[in-house]
Amino acid sequence: MNDPLRVAVTGVGLWLPGFPSAPAWAARRRDDTATKPVGLAFDRTNRRRASGLGRAIADAAAEAMAMAGVDAGTVPTVVGSSIGEASTMIGLLEGMWRTRTPMSPAAFTVSVHNAASGLLSISQSNRGFTTSLAADHDTPAAALFEAIGLIAAGHRQVVVVCADEAAPSNLIKDAPQWDLLAAAVVVSAAGATPRLATLHLTSGAAATLDPAPIDRSLVHNPQIGLVDLVDAVLHRRIGTLALDRGLGRGYTAALEPGDAP
Amino acid sequence: MPTTSLRPLLVTGYSMLSALGNGRGAHLDALASGRTGLRPSTLPLAFETATGVVTAPLPELPRELHPWSTRIARMAAVLIAELEEPLRRARATWQPERIAILLGTSTAGAETTESAYRDFVANGAFAAEYDFMRQHTFGAVLHVVRELTGARGPAWMCSTACTSSGKPFASARRMMAAGMIDAALVGGLDTLCTMTLQGFQSLQALDRGPCRPFHKDRGGISIGEGGAFALVERRGDPRVLVEGVGETSDAYHISAPHPEGLGARAAMLEALQQAGCKPGDIDHVNAHGTGTRLNDIAEAKAISAVLGNQVPVVSTKAFTGHTLGAAAALEFAFSACAIEAGWIPAALAVEPIDPGIELRIPTQVTKGNFRRVISNSFAFGGNNVSVLVGAP
Repeated sequence: MNDPLRVAVTGVGLWLPGFPSAPAWAARRRDDTATKPVGLAFDRTNRRRASGLGRAIADAAAEAMAMAGVDAGTVPTVVGSSIGEASTMIGLLEGMWRTRTPMSPAAFTVSVHNAASGLLSISQSNRGFTTSLAADHDTPAAALFEAIGLIAAGHRQVVVVCADEAAPSNLIKDAPQWDLLAAAVVVSAAGATPRLATLHLTSGAAATLDPAPIDRSLVHNPQIGLVDLVDAVLHRRIGTLALDRGLGRGYTAALEPGDAP
Repeated sequence: MPTTSLRPLLVTGYSMLSALGNGRGAHLDALASGRTGLRPSTLPLAFETATGVVTAPLPELPRELHPWSTRIARMAAVLIAELEEPLRRARATWQPERIAILLGTSTAGAETTESAYRDFVANGAFAAEYDFMRQHTFGAVLHVVRELTGARGPAWMCSTACTSSGKPFASARRMMAAGMIDAALVGGLDTLCTMTLQGFQSLQALDRGPCRPFHKDRGGISIGEGGAFALVERRGDPRVLVEGVGETSDAYHISAPHPEGLGARAAMLEALQQAGCKPGDIDHVNAHGTGTRLNDIAEAKAISAVLGNQVPVVSTKAFTGHTLGAAAALEFAFSACAIEAGWIPAALAVEPIDPGIELRIPTQVTKGNFRRVISNSFAFGGNNVSVLVGAP
């Protein structure tokens, strides 16, 4: 019987501080100059408009799309982020309450949660589906659920990219801070080839795979679960992986081997 | 383009809250009598504008949820309370893990944060009770909804600006088709924020008075707040159906609509295709109709191109204001009301109609057998949603 919760992973992408691509991360090849994402999937105008969060999303998405060989002009995209453009919002609040400066219309228009997904669709001339979701530490699972629904509805491939910018330290008290990261996967119908892995989304299963060995500054980022998934796929790990690090509701991904060389 | 045909969503209950009041009855009364909820804003702004403020009581949350108690969370609680009976029935029918919470908002707790930040600037510290994670984030509202409904299925907030609360209908439909869920609470909500008002003012998109969608001299948007929730189920006794949801992008501009409404056209065509309908099957359009020069002309072109110019078109934003992330859900509910009640409201403050807009815009309450209604919502990022609501 066809299991709709089972999909193929056909591409991955990453942007982490010091590791600006999936191969760099897989090889643990740190580049200390890679401190800011560049926004590879954006055109020049939108790269300038985008926040650091948006550019990280664009870098991870560009890499995953290239690896999967998808048409960026038509593929549906699901962007997940827990706090979205929080630093842009803080900039607006500073202008409102402290400096009393007129609000910048350009800053306001990119303060929305879907700024990155909108800039992606504009840059890629993609007139199809795009969405932007949030579910705290369950955002990676939510984005995968949405993507699986799209596959079930007949889409061939879906780009899932999750990212959160650095925690706004003055707003988050008494809680661990985190740094910017972005991770992306392209999911396809289960039989797609070549595939890096097959993924089955589950709830409440015991994890058998360890999470990625990652810098402490990133482990509390709500999107770390998608980094763990990308890491497991890159290292061809087989087993059950938690999609959060204890702060979510316990969604897991069961990974089976792919057929990609 | 996907090829799989999806079954219609069965909507077994819905609730609504806006400047017009709490509940379907209050909204129908206001629509029938042509009473707008828009009033001159009392917020400390350096400009004049009208807003649609929720004045219905927003009771405090249960004690265990006090740390999450914000205006938006209390609005969510009111919307859930109005759905108590269908939710009770759904909990008795479906496993909690098979009931999803798929909502939309553009603001989440921004209203609370902007007030807290003002205090921070004035005093150098946030108020002790302010908690970003429990009061600002999208997940905070989800937590409250989860606790109040008992739903334990997949849960997320869609945040695509002014289409946020339309897309969850499509997500629920796909997830049900994939066998992931049996029921879902869908819809969305937003609160009024000074930041949003200043933002739209910076774009010169606000009317100084109540908005006048499609009027010759329309001056822009009036911002409102509110929300609507709908319970959708795999089986049940539906009040209305969601037969199609078109979701497209303009790929044109971050804040301006495509001048020919290309993305809007594609969204309506996709909704029709999903529903297996012809343009002539549509009896009414609840327009996005914000009252800006650009939106109304582009949307009119799109509606004319797809549905012709004989279908009656009304923008209910002249009643409620533009409720942003809540607009698509609230206007789904107005569409459901038209089907259930058998009439559509008169467009408010629309005459003289812009001569460049060749639509049939009724200026009297119109009775009829409204079997299928399209509700349009368009957003920053060029995001478009058309929800096709049908009679059971």
